[in-house]
Amino acid sequence: MPTEYAITYSCENKYENKVRGAHWQFLIIPQTNSSQEVLSIEFTNSLLEAESYSINGLGFKTIRLKTRKSFKSARFRAKMRVLKSEVNPFDFPLENNAEESYKELKSLNFRVDHEAFLKKTDLTTLPENSTSLWSLDTSQTVFTNLQNLNKLVNAYLTFQPSTTTASSTLEEVLAKRNGVCQDFAHLFCALARMNGIPSRYVSGFLHQGSGYFGDSQMHAWSEAFIPKIGWVGFDPCNDLLAGTDYIKVSHGKDYRDCAPIRGVLFTTGKNETIYTVQVEGDQQ
Amino acid sequence: MLARVANNLFWMGRYIERSEHIARYLNVNYFSSLDAPNQLSQSRQFVLRSMLFMVGNPELDDNVELEESQVLYKIGLDAENAFSILSNVKYARENANSARDLISTELYEAINKFYHYVNNYDADMFMKNSLHDFTVNVTEMTAVLRGKMRGTLLHDEIYAIIMMGINIERATQVIRIINAKHQDALNAQGSYGDKFSNSYEWTTLLKCAESYDMMRRFYKKTPTSISTLEFLILNPNCPRSVMNSLNQVYKHIKVLDPSKKYNKDSTAFLVGRVRSEYEFKYITEIEEDIQGFIENILNSLGLISQKMEKEFFNY
Amino acid sequence: MGKIQNQIFSSYLRNPVLYDELFDKTGEIKDIYSRLFELYGGHTIKEYVKLNDKAKSSFFNQGITFQVYGEKESTEKIFPFDLFPRIIAPEEWEIIERGAIQRSRALNLFLWDIYHEKKIIKQGIVPLELISSSANYLNQMVDLDPPGGIYNHISGTDIIKHNDGNYYVLEDNIRCPSGVSYVICNRTALKRALFGVFNHYRTHSVTNYAENLLDLLETVKPKGVDIPNVVVLTPGMYNSAFYEHSYLAKTMGVELVEGRDLFVENDFVYMKTTHGPEKIDVIYRRVDDVFIDPLEFRADSALGVPGLFAAYKKGNVTLANAPGTGVADDKAIYTYMPDIIKYYLDEDPILNNVHTYHCSKPDELKYVLEHINELVIKPVDEAGGYGISIGNRLSKEEIEEVKLQVKANPRKYVAQPIMSLSVHPTYIDDTESFEQRHVDLRTFTIMGRDRDFVLKGGLTRVALKKGNLIVNSSQGGGSKDTWVLKS
Repeated sequence: MPTEYAITYSCENKYENKVRGAHWQFLIIPQTNSSQEVLSIEFTNSLLEAESYSINGLGFKTIRLKTRKSFKSARFRAKMRVLKSEVNPFDFPLENNAEESYKELKSLNFRVDHEAFLKKTDLTTLPENSTSLWSLDTSQTVFTNLQNLNKLVNAYLTFQPSTTTASSTLEEVLAKRNGVCQDFAHLFCALARMNGIPSRYVSGFLHQGSGYFGDSQMHAWSEAFIPKIGWVGFDPCNDLLAGTDYIKVSHGKDYRDCAPIRGVLFTTGKNETIYTVQVEGDQQ
Repeated sequence: MLARVANNLFWMGRYIERSEHIARYLNVNYFSSLDAPNQLSQSRQFVLRSMLFMVGNPELDDNVELEESQVLYKIGLDAENAFSILSNVKYARENANSARDLISTELYEAINKFYHYVNNYDADMFMKNSLHDFTVNVTEMTAVLRGKMRGTLLHDEIYAIIMMGINIERATQVIRIINAKHQDALNAQGSYGDKFSNSYEWTTLLKCAESYDMMRRFYKKTPTSISTLEFLILNPNCPRSVMNSLNQVYKHIKVLDPSKKYNKDSTAFLVGRVRSEYEFKYITEIEEDIQGFIENILNSLGLISQKMEKEFFNY
Repeated sequence: MGKIQNQIFSSYLRNPVLYDELFDKTGEIKDIYSRLFELYGGHTIKEYVKLNDKAKSSFFNQGITFQVYGEKESTEKIFPFDLFPRIIAPEEWEIIERGAIQRSRALNLFLWDIYHEKKIIKQGIVPLELISSSANYLNQMVDLDPPGGIYNHISGTDIIKHNDGNYYVLEDNIRCPSGVSYVICNRTALKRALFGVFNHYRTHSVTNYAENLLDLLETVKPKGVDIPNVVVLTPGMYNSAFYEHSYLAKTMGVELVEGRDLFVENDFVYMKTTHGPEKIDVIYRRVDDVFIDPLEFRADSALGVPGLFAAYKKGNVTLANAPGTGVADDKAIYTYMPDIIKYYLDEDPILNNVHTYHCSKPDELKYVLEHINELVIKPVDEAGGYGISIGNRLSKEEIEEVKLQVKANPRKYVAQPIMSLSVHPTYIDDTESFEQRHVDLRTFTIMGRDRDFVLKGGLTRVALKKGNLIVNSSQGGGSKDTWVLKS
């Protein structure tokens, strides 16, 4: 049975000094894919500027806003309705021949095709002393291995808001052993990639009905590519597979490809962004 | 044309014109004071103060003894001072640089040569004995620039914008010079028996605007306050007059905005309004309140500049 | 024999080890230069100095200068220019021209491939690491079809003549190669100073570059555009190549814009004019990839246009060169050029490549470490001649230092045999005489939809310091007018 979600993304930016003109880009519109469909988007802003829609360099839909007005604060709100069909994360044919999967992971063609999600980035580079945190057990299927990785990351880090920032490296995260969903996702990607499994960072919304971690903000999880099966979503922050509650917006190599808001501002001084997300589900 | 580049060309015109007026003011005031008929007009302090007043940096303390070489350096070649001739020429060239692809090679090279001439001028020599040489060369080089503009640019929007800059600046500078010399005439009053209206300063004023010879031909009399002001403000045939500048501005704004439609918010409308205000004025109306006139016209020119910025240079 | 009888060359010292462009091994003047040699010989050094000064002041007055930032104030300098031209014979030029086009085409096909199916990597010809570890490979360009199928619209190929008399390519520049305006300025300056000499040689014109550039840029207009509106995008007047940007805009008769003059609305690009917005279709951009769009790449870029990349991706505007070309002019890719040419064109390279050792390969690293004194060590991703170590110029300590650097980061370095660049008589101010100086040649190739153009001429760069092999202008190099003779 599909679920209709009403998602509200609200954001308030405050600036120390007057801003004279700005551009913003929001990467918050849920992706339209086999399990989800956007029914409507309603975007409002305190500057009363008309928004426009575009597609960014990595192929995801964006909301753009520009202004030439002067201001010291700006508020934005997007109300989106999304229809999500029921997702059973285990709904795929099991790998009956693990050996073949491992062979494919090693093949040049496979590595070339998934080059983007096999390489290290600044945010997914493991410090020297942590490279052996996890390794593949080839006696088990790739899927089982990834489930283990999900569990391991979940256990290794403690969910703790405000200890890390969007630009925290794994070195900092692993030193503290705590972080937020982004850090869990980065660690998952780093370890999977290190072991030759293509893995991407996913940004989206999580329906919190059942008390998951992820507070009232956007959520982040990972997707890993399993030969013959395809991309499968793992949420290391909650040690779950991404199911019906997960509404995907975008994916990329790491957080930087998926930042929900980007701005170009003509001002000096500090700025502060506060945003909240509300996801309400209504089963059809 | 790009709005930003139009803005730069407008200011290129203004800076070139400004540097010329400052150079001439230095030259005429300094050299005419040497054999002025009254003591005060001959006084070096009086002249130096007048120069500083003209560039908008007056010495307010009456007790300060100004050092000639310092004042000359400050106004002529001091790169630290935004109002110096050197700074003006530098800004003119920077603006030309950004619009190099639009102006003729000939004009650009002339501006560039002008800049190198001013920038490489020996400051010691300038302060000691080359004031005349330097200021005459600056005015001559600006004349060359005007010639290059007229002769090597297409008379289109680019030309119109530069000419608007030049003429708005010319009107502004002539008014500033009138203001400065009017002050001088007031200060020098009665010091040697000559009255305000027959002050020697009016001759100097006309020379500062390179208008003395023309004025003598036109009136065939020694300049008085009223004839001088009439000539420099209202006579449309005097190329340096405020009236002529306004006519030029009006002519060129019509190139930028050829629209015949009634639009009271346009720059063209405002220029036309200011122009017609002075077209049919009596000089006696101005003479009654010179200070009021100066404030009023400077304000109008400022408004025109602002409006242009909004209408054409907004980027 | 070997004695040079000519006034201005009377003190010319010829080092027989070096390949001299003017004189053969026995010291005889080469045929192609003999007329020029006589003509210059008619001048005394004094006259020559005068002409030289005149040429310099002509550059100065034209404002063809660059800023040198000192401690207190910045001064303006001209690019050192040498009045003695370099001549290239038609049959030699024919090879250079064909070779330059061949490389540009191969690089374009290579770029298309690595941003689409990546066949060359899947077939194991070029290692995956070259793109996966390259900061210049843009994932945003994957599966994007640039208008006309062209990535490297403008290429600059750096070529030298080795002491074996053969031309070798040292580098392909396909990001924003600069220098073409100096080719034209050098010609103008030489014509002004020594117009008489042109009567004795039939030299190809170089002034047709801009018209060809505009023509070829118009062939890669976006779909649905009738007459494209082309602009040149510059970082601004403080950029060291600003003169070139304004020169190109002026000679093409198009607008020279900065990022702040442009804006994007509904994925179309407009410039702000005195009469409101005007749509633009083709941007010859001289701003680096990471700065072109702060919403897509570096957010702190003040040089770019927010939303430009999305407009490009949508096919509403053409960027020349395409973003992401930098991956292919990486020095590590250079070393695979013979294979790349063979793979896509099924041809042998027309111009030689200098043999290159990859420090990323263990056996080659071993060779490099053992033979540093015979090699040039180059970082793969530095431009402008920085970070280069020339083995036979290093002290023992310096060699050890370089070894450590290379060992610490082998992927970052390649090594090549020390090439001996040919020398050309060049007038040296300090000694008031002609001396041998090393030269190279940068050629300029433009590719459009189904049409190519190579400028018949090029920038001959001169290393002004005695014995110096690095000719880059940011390292104090000068230049010469370059004559390609008509056949």
